[in-house]
Amino acid sequence: MDLGEFEADNSVSCRLVSEIPQICRTEDCCLGIDEAGRGPVLGPMVYGICYCPVSKKEELKDLKVADSKTLTEAERENLFQKLDEARSFVGWALQILSPNTISTSMLQRAKYNLNSLSHDAAIGLVQYALDSGVQLKEVFVDTVGPAEKYQEKLSQRFPGLEVTVRPKADSLFPIVSAASICAKVARDHAVKGWNFMEDLGDVDTDYGSGYPNDPKTKAWLLKYLDPVFGYPQFVRFSWSTAQTLLDGKAATVHWDDDEEDGEKAAARQNNKSMLSYFSRAAGGNDQSSTHQTHRFFTERRLHSLDAL
Amino acid sequence: MSNSSVTHVQMSSAGQTERTAVHLMPCEIEHNGPAQVSQYFTAAMKDRKHEKTVSFRGRGLRGQELSCPQGYTGLVLKEVNKPGSDQEDRTVRVSSVFDKLTYWNMETPPNSDDTIVMAMSWPELAEAIHGPVDD
Repeated sequence: MDLGEFEADNSVSCRLVSEIPQICRTEDCCLGIDEAGRGPVLGPMVYGICYCPVSKKEELKDLKVADSKTLTEAERENLFQKLDEARSFVGWALQILSPNTISTSMLQRAKYNLNSLSHDAAIGLVQYALDSGVQLKEVFVDTVGPAEKYQEKLSQRFPGLEVTVRPKADSLFPIVSAASICAKVARDHAVKGWNFMEDLGDVDTDYGSGYPNDPKTKAWLLKYLDPVFGYPQFVRFSWSTAQTLLDGKAATVHWDDDEEDGEKAAARQNNKSMLSYFSRAAGGNDQSSTHQTHRFFTERRLHSLDAL
Repeated sequence: MSNSSVTHVQMSSAGQTERTAVHLMPCEIEHNGPAQVSQYFTAAMKDRKHEKTVSFRGRGLRGQELSCPQGYTGLVLKEVNKPGSDQEDRTVRVSSVFDKLTYWNMETPPNSDDTIVMAMSWPELAEAIHGPVDD
């Protein structure tokens, strides 16, 4: 699997696709969707689709694809190889969501949560298959969240398709297993060959599975914590594991959309809290406050300075 | 103010200090000291057509370069010895100078309404209203 396009800029989301088998443009097809790397605090999350003609389901089964989680890395590589060899009737596409995309989406002012991010990635991939002329009829989706709502959302979005959303779909439907293998292989490669955009010299790549409870991952997160910048973009800042470590060991950072206690924020910025106007000393005694700065200056945050 | 202390700025050092890259961040960082800016920040910065992009602590920033008003130089001042009381005079020296800076917005694209861009128009206006009048 060639991740060159993602590795060229791993700060953004990237789509990688196989060639579309000719037969998939003429025969009714089934499509499976699965994800890899949802839980880890490190690296990208990958969404994968795999599709083939409904008439070839048995042939796909014969490749002995299975849920990627039950396989070793070598077995997954091997199975991906088999899927690649079956390219005359099996196609795939991946959406790689970089850890930076995950962090900045989840932490943005108008919060964009992981579920919406996942659903949109899945919808984007199905739309890609349709736009490419794949004769889609059946869609099978693995989910970690509530299946019914997700199924309703997808059915509404794609009224012409027969959508089945099922927990553990990756072990029930071979086409979903195939999608899970594609996604997991991409995630494995991306993590292993992570090209740090930051100038950190030789980075220790012994970061374990990337799951927050893996001791190796924990040790790595402690080792690469920077008191100002926190972490390289490889780390998902929106994960509580990362936030807790930063809260304890890095400089505190305040953003103007922080949900900070009003009085505390005011004290920090040397402003008056609303409450202070109700105290005894407030009112006409303060001579300096009678001078009002013109809007021109307040809008530009310009102050005349008489002391540092 | 009852405080009669004076702050001196040592300008003598300004001539030979090096120019440095200055970033104006849309957040307050409770840190006063060196930071690995080039390793973590500059290295990950992207130059797009009309803006620069980067992220800090997992938040997306968009920014642009801004020049100091003509005839002005930016100074980074550093206090060498902090006085023990607010009655003592203070001395700051110029630790570096800059003629442009990069300012960053949180998520919004840089535009002409940004506070810092508008602030840069003050010197020209000040000159117009306070400068000598031609007869």
